[in-house]
Amino acid sequence: MDLNRRDFLKTASIATAATAAACSIDPRTPVEHYLPYVQMPEDELPGVATYFSTACAECASGCGMVARAKEGRVVMVEGNPDWTEGHGLCTRGHFGLVSAYGPERVAGPTAGGKVQDWDSSIKAVSDAIAAAKAAGKQVAWLGQYRTGSLNSLLSEFAGASGLRRVHWEALGVETLLAATRQAFGVATLPTYELSGAQVILSFGMDFLGTAYGAMGMAKGWSSAKNPADGGFVTRLVCVEPRIGVTSAQADHFLPALPGTELAVALAVARLAADKVGYANAGLLAGVDVAAASKLSGIGEEKLKEIAGWITEHPSIVLPGGAVNAGVQATDLAAVTFLLNDICGNIGRSVVFGKEQSYGTVSSYADARALLEDARAGKIGVLFVDGVNPVYNFPEADKAGEALDAVDMLVQFANEKDDSTRPKTLLLPPGSSLETWGDANVTTGVYTLQQPAMTPQHNTLTVGDVVLRLAKAMGLAAPVAAEAVVDPAAAGATDAAVVAAAPVATSSAGFDYADFHAYVQTRWMKNVFDGNGSFDAWWTNVRQKGGHFAPAAATALPLTMASLPGLPTALSQSGAELALVIFPSSNLGDGRHANVPWAQELPDPISTNTWGSWAELNPKTVEKLGLGKTDSVKIKTASGEITLGYFATPGVREDTVAVVLGNGHVNMGNFGTGRGVNPMKLLASAQDATSGALATATTAASISRSEVTSDFFALSGNIDMDGRPIAMACSAEEAAAKPTGEPGEIVEIEEIPWDRRLDEKKGLHDFFPEPQHPTYRFAMAIDLNSCTGCMACVIACDLENNIPFVGPDQVRRGRGMSWIRMDRFVEGEGEHIDVRHLPSMCQNCSHAPCEGVCPVLATYHNLDGLNAMVYNRCVGTRYCANNCPYTARRFNYHTWTWPDSMYLMLNPDVTVREMGVMEKCTFCTQRTRAVKDSWRDMQIESGAQQKVPDHALVKLTACASACPTNSITFGSTNDPEGSVTKKFANPRAYTLLGTLNTKPGVRYLAKARHHVSGEAHHGAATHGEAPHGEAPHGTEHAAEIKEG
Amino acid sequence: MKDLSYNDVNKDVLRPLFTAEFSYLAVLATTLLVLGAGGLCWVYQLVYGLGVAGYHPPVFWGVYITTFVFWVGIGHAGTLISAVLFLTRSRWRTGIYRAAEAMTIFAVMTAALFPAIHVGRAWYAYWLFPYPNQRQLWQNFKSPLMWDVFAVSTYFTVSTIFFAIGLIPDIAAVRDATKGFTQKMYAVMALGWRGTDRQWHHYMAAYGFFAAIATPLVLSVHSVVSWDFAMADTPGWHSTIFPPYFVAGAIFSGCAMVITLMLPLSLLFKLEDYIHVWHFEHLAKLCVFTGGILTYAYGTEYYIAWYSDNQYEWGTFMDRVYGNYWWVFATMVFCNCLAPLVWWFKKVRTNYIGLFVVSVIINIGMWFERFNIIASSLSHSFDPAGWVYYTPTWVEWGILIMSFAWFFTWFLLFVKIMPSVAIAEVKEAMRPPVKFEGEHAAK
Repeated sequence: MDLNRRDFLKTASIATAATAAACSIDPRTPVEHYLPYVQMPEDELPGVATYFSTACAECASGCGMVARAKEGRVVMVEGNPDWTEGHGLCTRGHFGLVSAYGPERVAGPTAGGKVQDWDSSIKAVSDAIAAAKAAGKQVAWLGQYRTGSLNSLLSEFAGASGLRRVHWEALGVETLLAATRQAFGVATLPTYELSGAQVILSFGMDFLGTAYGAMGMAKGWSSAKNPADGGFVTRLVCVEPRIGVTSAQADHFLPALPGTELAVALAVARLAADKVGYANAGLLAGVDVAAASKLSGIGEEKLKEIAGWITEHPSIVLPGGAVNAGVQATDLAAVTFLLNDICGNIGRSVVFGKEQSYGTVSSYADARALLEDARAGKIGVLFVDGVNPVYNFPEADKAGEALDAVDMLVQFANEKDDSTRPKTLLLPPGSSLETWGDANVTTGVYTLQQPAMTPQHNTLTVGDVVLRLAKAMGLAAPVAAEAVVDPAAAGATDAAVVAAAPVATSSAGFDYADFHAYVQTRWMKNVFDGNGSFDAWWTNVRQKGGHFAPAAATALPLTMASLPGLPTALSQSGAELALVIFPSSNLGDGRHANVPWAQELPDPISTNTWGSWAELNPKTVEKLGLGKTDSVKIKTASGEITLGYFATPGVREDTVAVVLGNGHVNMGNFGTGRGVNPMKLLASAQDATSGALATATTAASISRSEVTSDFFALSGNIDMDGRPIAMACSAEEAAAKPTGEPGEIVEIEEIPWDRRLDEKKGLHDFFPEPQHPTYRFAMAIDLNSCTGCMACVIACDLENNIPFVGPDQVRRGRGMSWIRMDRFVEGEGEHIDVRHLPSMCQNCSHAPCEGVCPVLATYHNLDGLNAMVYNRCVGTRYCANNCPYTARRFNYHTWTWPDSMYLMLNPDVTVREMGVMEKCTFCTQRTRAVKDSWRDMQIESGAQQKVPDHALVKLTACASACPTNSITFGSTNDPEGSVTKKFANPRAYTLLGTLNTKPGVRYLAKARHHVSGEAHHGAATHGEAPHGEAPHGTEHAAEIKEG
Repeated sequence: MKDLSYNDVNKDVLRPLFTAEFSYLAVLATTLLVLGAGGLCWVYQLVYGLGVAGYHPPVFWGVYITTFVFWVGIGHAGTLISAVLFLTRSRWRTGIYRAAEAMTIFAVMTAALFPAIHVGRAWYAYWLFPYPNQRQLWQNFKSPLMWDVFAVSTYFTVSTIFFAIGLIPDIAAVRDATKGFTQKMYAVMALGWRGTDRQWHHYMAAYGFFAAIATPLVLSVHSVVSWDFAMADTPGWHSTIFPPYFVAGAIFSGCAMVITLMLPLSLLFKLEDYIHVWHFEHLAKLCVFTGGILTYAYGTEYYIAWYSDNQYEWGTFMDRVYGNYWWVFATMVFCNCLAPLVWWFKKVRTNYIGLFVVSVIINIGMWFERFNIIASSLSHSFDPAGWVYYTPTWVEWGILIMSFAWFFTWFLLFVKIMPSVAIAEVKEAMRPPVKFEGEHAAK
């Protein structure tokens, strides 16, 4: 072939260019551009986070929260450590962050599917109000609980405009308010202080889960559970039909015959009163203990035992909850107050003075009346604020029809939901991360909600809308309601505040620049103590996220004059089961159904995701002849549903429990059409006294359905198969030895020392600890106070950019969460023993995964972390096979987020591509940042110092989120470190440490008053091994010694 | 055996090289079609990720690794027959060793596909090779997967060279029987073979030398493959019995595969004169022997699991029998322990149908054995909360079938390009040419 010089050069250059082009295009990696700010925002340093102390608004509890913003976008939310009423941030609190970036948020005020501007929207509403008034129709408000400034603004607005206010929530507190009125003559909510209670008797309250005030109660309970706090381990007695997050912690699970919890309460009250010589014993004279025992199915001996426990020890008795809200719910709650009075708990563990308030609280009866009036055409304008009547009301109440019957329906919501009708005027209030607000639930505890980022859409808060509406309507508020503080006298120098604050002489009470000004003025009037400069105080409040000065606890005298009689058990015909509706631990009353992470977070008990399920006792399952993939059809007089089932010994044989939270007809892309709505099964039965919806009064017939079940339990085996995974020890032993030698109560689970090595070479074994010159990052997890609530899991997901994978993938077991919440159910009956174990990468010192990676994508670093180089990973998955903890997650596909949610991604953490392994590295981005900042300080001060314990102890996302303070992080190189001390706790053990993995995580065994025979702390080595031989470790050690 | 002249041998063995039977073309077309379809499965997997396979924690290995081990195992019989039996001067190898050796190479080529199919980012699979690079990245030589890379690549290299050397005199015969371009191609491969004494002398030395090099590989390669499992801590894997157990299994499955392949081959190309039933009988005997070793190894695994008193180990072994994968275990025991027992009967092991059916059963059994080890151990690992049931998806089955198509395509091409019976060795084993016949007859 003839090839001249020119042709050769041509060909060669084309070939070179083609090769270069082919090599430089990587179709899988998107091209990214780094653009500098044209104008640098003030106080903004790229790569450095800004923290805003604010308040969570996902429910009305008003918990303190810290929002972490990076480059102008909030990327993480955590608990506010300055807030006094709880630890961390609950699961649902985290969903606020996801909702803020929801892809289906409306862009602005929307009517008939069209976005319009605010002025015309407000005008339309005010015109509609004027028209309604002219037509003699009512203007009404159906909303969620509102506390703090918004509650007071609504009161003022209602006072001035004649607004009919109804505040109702499906998991509300109206029963408890009615009960305190019945017991004490005052409708007020006590604060339950669990920290000193050695015995807790609960009649169904989900005080570690969905109950209002759960964060405070969880904090108290964790302290009562901790033997190091007070030297005791609390005993929890649960009288309720189903094992939920709270009753999973019960030492005594006593499911009374459905509907007879009141009988148990009365009988225990009688026995307790007799025992302590209760002054007002006459009240209880009529209670027939034997009849109550017979009715409820709980033996007299047991009742006596309970009465003994609660009277002999500092105790607390908690009322009922959603699972047993019957027609006598108020009576049951009132009797729990009587019980507390008998035990002397009022003012000690059940305290007033420091009450809880959720603003205006209406009953289900009120809300139903409102809907009836709406259907009758009596309502001209209806505001719907944060509630979802179409979903949460029983079918019989025809909430949809009622909403359609009003002339103008105004809904405050960022996204459409079931209650959005075609004609709804949708006013998006914006995310709580973008707006001002406040909350005041516990007396003296004010949390301030401040914007942590610029609003993404054209939104206006509910308060702003109300203010503007009042102005448009020309309303004048009654100013005299509160003492007016002259801003100037109070030291306010901020011109804006002075300008915004209403002048005392102004008759127009709604004349504020915006809701922010209203909040600030109200704080100036009500919260600021007048000492010093308001400006300085306000700055401090904004830094701290509120003003936290809880009022002192006091008691109230019990004024109960009469007692209810014994209840009648739920009437069930032979084949019928009692229907229990329980709120989903993650979705609550259903409001978070459009949060994909909420859907994907496994339920702590059933471990199901993305749907609904019914809980049935295995014996019932057998009786019905249900196959693994079968569904059940549940039918009541009001309706029927078909859904998958979970067979659990944690529910009575004559009971079926159905989860609430899913089954929406219009709840966005993620919430619509998943699962079923159990409210369809209910008639509109009410609690006689409070008018609350009685959810636990229905008998249901149940049958097998051919429909393939979509129930999928993420947790493989229901029990531990006798393996030493989530260990437990006796509470008595734990209380006797709050500190001591490691291994004293629970075996540490390490390989035995080879003393020959020890003597000759100073080695522990053939695989000595690697070098950790400065830190050995480690984590201690106290299973004793872990409730399996999943807060750590969701916190980890959001911090580490862990995607949700959707129902199809998750049902293949491909959930990506780095923390897997293992759930085991040991035993059954009274001492059913549910164990949770948050299992993440144990960051082993001798990690099985490291040795097998052919490309060194995972290695042990100097800080003790089992580091992971995502870019180097080829995806052989050998590491994951070799991890005894199954802590590694594989990217089966390139997971994607809805577009708007990319703004939520934490820029400190790499987003992983398809084919790569990933796992927990103890939030290495956080440890690195804290090390850097302390190194900077060291350079400034010139003194050699390590990151101190207090900067590490709650550093990781999971530790920071934990509502029960169960996770401790730190460095075991620090002999005084918190984690070092926990490692030496007599209850501490390593998970599968006999494999000589030398984990960087130690668990502290759960202390129970009754440890079920199986999987006792010695199970691994004593009785439960397949052939019951002597413990491995000791046996070998002995041999070696002799040799 | 009918009287064959040296010329007959050449003609008979080379005949398939110059014909194109319809049945042959039909089979080749089928394998190519299946290969293409399976290739599409792989493309689908490359585009959408390994999620299209059935993996989920804690089962991260499945059909692909099972099939990898299966094919590596198949290869072993070829080397055993060509190298070990050569060194031990077992005469029965002559008729079958060429095809068995080709089978080895193609089996290793098939196996070598699977690490690439199996990894999450196949486009970076080359990172498994230690090559100098600017980023100064290096491999982890502690990882059994790394050993695997070396074991398999060494095996492939040595087998190929050994195969090529063994072919030299025969390729020269083909060269002499062809013309034009084809002849040039064969001439290159024949390396100037003229059949001189001097050449024969060097040739035999080299052949013996490579046979000696290849022999330890029979033991080492599958031992290294078994370490992928034995070195891991997974219950059901972490066991010192694995290397001998895997080697026995490899020879067992390899010999069965030789029967499965050579029976139809000898019938199709009418090579019964060269590949006799007694060749197969020997292979069957070897299978019965190695099958016995396997059965013993299965038993030992259970005994050790019980004797160790390790609850994780025992849990896994009980799960294999009573758990979700009981049917895999049952298949394995039937195919590997029970089915070969019929070969104790001479009638069965000298009957073409009996040989073929049982050899196919053994191949199925050996695939399930690896599946049993991999899937059932992983799905029942330490933490009971992670216990799952892994079911392969259509993509995995598709790629498994593709691997057979790939293997058979190569094998089919081989029988048309190269003499599938070693001409030179057959001649060596024959009685000397006719002119001495009288002398022989007189004796």
